[in-house]
Amino acid sequence: MDISSFMAGLSIAVQPINIIWIILGGFLGTIVGMLPGLGPATAVAVLIPITFGMDPVSAIILMAAIYYGAMYGGSRSSILLNTPGDGSAIAATFDGYPMAKKGQAGQALAISAIASFIGGLIAVIGFVFLAEPLAAFALEFGPAEYFLLMLLTLSAIVALSVGKMVKGFLAMMIGLALSTVGIDTQTGVYRFTMGIPQLSEGIDFLIVIIGVYAIGEVLYNFLNIDDQKKEKKKVGKVWFSKDQWKRSRWPILRSGPIGFLVGVLPGAGGSIASMIGYTTEKQISKKPEEFGEGAPEGLAAPESANNAASVGAMIPLLTMGIPGSGTTAVMLGALIMLGLRPGPLLFQQQPETAWALINSMFLGNIALVIINILLVGVLVKVLDTPAKILYPMIVLLAFIGTYTLSYSTIDFFLLLIFGLFGLMMKVLDIPIAPLVLALIVGVDMEQNFRMAVLSSNGSLGVFFQSGVSITLLILTILSLFYPLIIKLVKRKSDKLSDDEQVYKSS
Amino acid sequence: MKKLVSVALISLLFIMAGCSGSASGNDEYPSGNLEIVAPASPGGGWDLTARSLEKVLTDEGLVEQNINVVNKPGGGGEVGWKYLKQKDAHTLSVNSSLLLTNNLLGQSELTYEDFTPIATLATEWQALAVPADSEYETASEFMEATKNNPTDIKVGVGPGLGNDDHLSLVQAASEYGINPSDLNFLVYEGGGDVVTALLGGHVDAVTTSLSEVKDQHQAGKLRILAVSSDKPVEGIEDVPTWKQEGIDMVFPHWRGIMGPPDMTEEQIAYWDEKLGNMVETEQWQTVLDNNDWEGFYKNSEETEQFMKEQHDLYETLVKDSGLVE
Amino acid sequence: MKEVTSLKALKLIVPFILIIASITYMIASWNLPDANLGNGNGPKYFPLGLSIFMLTFSIVYFIQEFRKRDEENEEIREILSGRTPKLIAFTVVAGFIYSLLFERIGFLFSTVLFLGALLFFINGRKKWMTNIIVTICFSTISWYAFSVLLGVSLP
Repeated sequence: MDISSFMAGLSIAVQPINIIWIILGGFLGTIVGMLPGLGPATAVAVLIPITFGMDPVSAIILMAAIYYGAMYGGSRSSILLNTPGDGSAIAATFDGYPMAKKGQAGQALAISAIASFIGGLIAVIGFVFLAEPLAAFALEFGPAEYFLLMLLTLSAIVALSVGKMVKGFLAMMIGLALSTVGIDTQTGVYRFTMGIPQLSEGIDFLIVIIGVYAIGEVLYNFLNIDDQKKEKKKVGKVWFSKDQWKRSRWPILRSGPIGFLVGVLPGAGGSIASMIGYTTEKQISKKPEEFGEGAPEGLAAPESANNAASVGAMIPLLTMGIPGSGTTAVMLGALIMLGLRPGPLLFQQQPETAWALINSMFLGNIALVIINILLVGVLVKVLDTPAKILYPMIVLLAFIGTYTLSYSTIDFFLLLIFGLFGLMMKVLDIPIAPLVLALIVGVDMEQNFRMAVLSSNGSLGVFFQSGVSITLLILTILSLFYPLIIKLVKRKSDKLSDDEQVYKSS
Repeated sequence: MKKLVSVALISLLFIMAGCSGSASGNDEYPSGNLEIVAPASPGGGWDLTARSLEKVLTDEGLVEQNINVVNKPGGGGEVGWKYLKQKDAHTLSVNSSLLLTNNLLGQSELTYEDFTPIATLATEWQALAVPADSEYETASEFMEATKNNPTDIKVGVGPGLGNDDHLSLVQAASEYGINPSDLNFLVYEGGGDVVTALLGGHVDAVTTSLSEVKDQHQAGKLRILAVSSDKPVEGIEDVPTWKQEGIDMVFPHWRGIMGPPDMTEEQIAYWDEKLGNMVETEQWQTVLDNNDWEGFYKNSEETEQFMKEQHDLYETLVKDSGLVE
Repeated sequence: MKEVTSLKALKLIVPFILIIASITYMIASWNLPDANLGNGNGPKYFPLGLSIFMLTFSIVYFIQEFRKRDEENEEIREILSGRTPKLIAFTVVAGFIYSLLFERIGFLFSTVLFLGALLFFINGRKKWMTNIIVTICFSTISWYAFSVLLGVSLP
């Protein structure tokens, strides 16, 4: 690290105009991110015209702020309405929504804001000290390693549906099957597109997310819409309790680095990071049965991880000019328009620009945690809106959000189909997350597998060649069988303690 | 109650404003708002081209009418161009060689003849790059090795076969006497992924647009063996062109703009004048520089001719590549 | 008595549909066109393998549900009782009509109709005043937010 460029960067970042951009971008990003279907990539893309004519440094600062804002905002709707705005906010529904249902919406929002903040900070610190070695590490990931990483993610998420494994696997397979729609990248063959050009690039997972979560949730709530009493719902305090903090503290600190590392890998991103953060916490938790029922650590971990991942995703962008995620790809395009080309030469030729951005991330996270905590009080009011008025509004927002994805009404029909699909899954108690995650990673998983096999001329040994791939394999096996192992160990120790009791009483 | 009335009034106004936008009927062209279709999502290459056009034309006061960029992504341009086909002359669309290849690959019914050529605006060049520590020092060495053992050399390309990245190497290979369908391609999701794969040593070479690898070459992280331009490119004069390497080809990755079918001569002349002026402006020059593009302006007449030539070239290339029978 | 059997049947319908879907998917995978480059069957392996797993798991699921066919599923009962089926059907049909109208008559007009219809149906006719205010305000605000602030080109 180069102290003088660091200071030069800091002095650019704290210029009043840039501080204003940070706050404005963070705020706009949070708001846009809250809308169903509008995740960070869309948020940055639709707000690009604002950056036209701006100084490139301010522009990158603004875009980064929008990005993080959208990451913060995405989980707001997950927690309050069970409708994530993006893949990386899915994990926040697992425990965030149950918390809101239990009347702890305020606490949940506060925990998620703080967790995001700390996760972001950990990642920024990691960025400052580890950017270069990590960029080199990310290059080690070839097709085989990517395939195994995705396999790990899927197995971890299926393992979450303990007790309904068959349904979990089925959901995952449906997701994988949906991911095969579209052009087959390796050969250019069109698969299952039924002649609809809009399907040639595949089914956008965001439509599925909006459909199964937002529309599905509304339809599902119709089951008892007339029974809901008029009494005001409890939203809880806008700050969390000491006990909740104690439970969340370590998960936040553990998930931050995990999310950061996953984020650095091009193509992995927030969805995988938050899911791995969540499952890791669940598996090492002493009370795994509370996960999914509103455990604060189950919300804190993925929130910390996905925000850290969004910082990590900036590393390949800034050090190599390689966009690691949809959002950074959009940012790269906009920066090139403005005449700033991130790449290996950026740190050499314009170090102050790079460091200005890194410093702005510090400031941005501080601004965002304040904005989001101030917003808690306002946001929980959403729950005061009578359900019968709220639901039509959510349906409408879902439609508009879908329209912004590809400006085509064909997507509306998909949206409705997946809405009904979501309803059915909820009624039959089929887990939804494996389906969505499988759809998100499915294409890359298949293509990377085939590329790996192709590049090794047909040998499967390629999956056992590197240290990284062996580690990933072990983790995958662990994630699938860990619950079983735990059960066995518990049974043994239960027996032991039973024996002890017998011994004592005798 | 007063508030309510005013809210109702305002929304009524909005509705009326929304409906009156499509009025037309004047003889003078353009008689209303203009639309540029970006057949891609916001943030992508086509979107940025469309938005740059909009910005330069507006900022320089060349076009007085409002210009809106409309995103119609899907099907590699197919969706946006279908939309263009049923519009009147107030809508134009950005295009590239995909307009030709989609049809040649049998993925689309639309052909370049379905539209009115307006202009060719800019081009990028293609590059063949290898890792910095690669055993291949020159393009000829690489080609020779490939000729001897095509399956052993893995070439990264993205995001799909049949694009310019792929076909430029197809042309080079067939000029060199290699059967291009023997080449061993690994297809990545995007241009960035291809470069990552090369830097990580997961492929032996990549074929991609020059801008993706230019900085990396200057930083010494990889080596560009050849570019597809007609003369060496500024900033990397050390890299030879394919011609200098003895392979007779110049391969532009062009971008242009076209209109719906049946535009009148006056309408075409209008754009020839406006765009002819636009490419002379400094602001457009900045756009080119920022994107690592090169000016490649051809007016409507030249573009029509150019499209015909390109169509014939691509027909051969697609056949050579082995993608269609 | 009839209702009970239909509820039972309903539980088995979904696994049954999944079995049919897996078989359809398998056949469709089998019939995928060959690739002209590289391994001609490349595009088929993954979907085919997947469809075999899907079929297996669908059958297991069917058997599981069949064993539990006498257990009550409260939510399936609810979905068929009272106002619920009407609400779901209305929302989906309204959404369908909205999709058809959206690009023809423009965003604002179709949205006012759609949101208004939903509100009147779900919230009831008695609260017409609230419904109208919410419809007009929310449609206008969302139009303004998306079209003007975010620059999304709405029809």
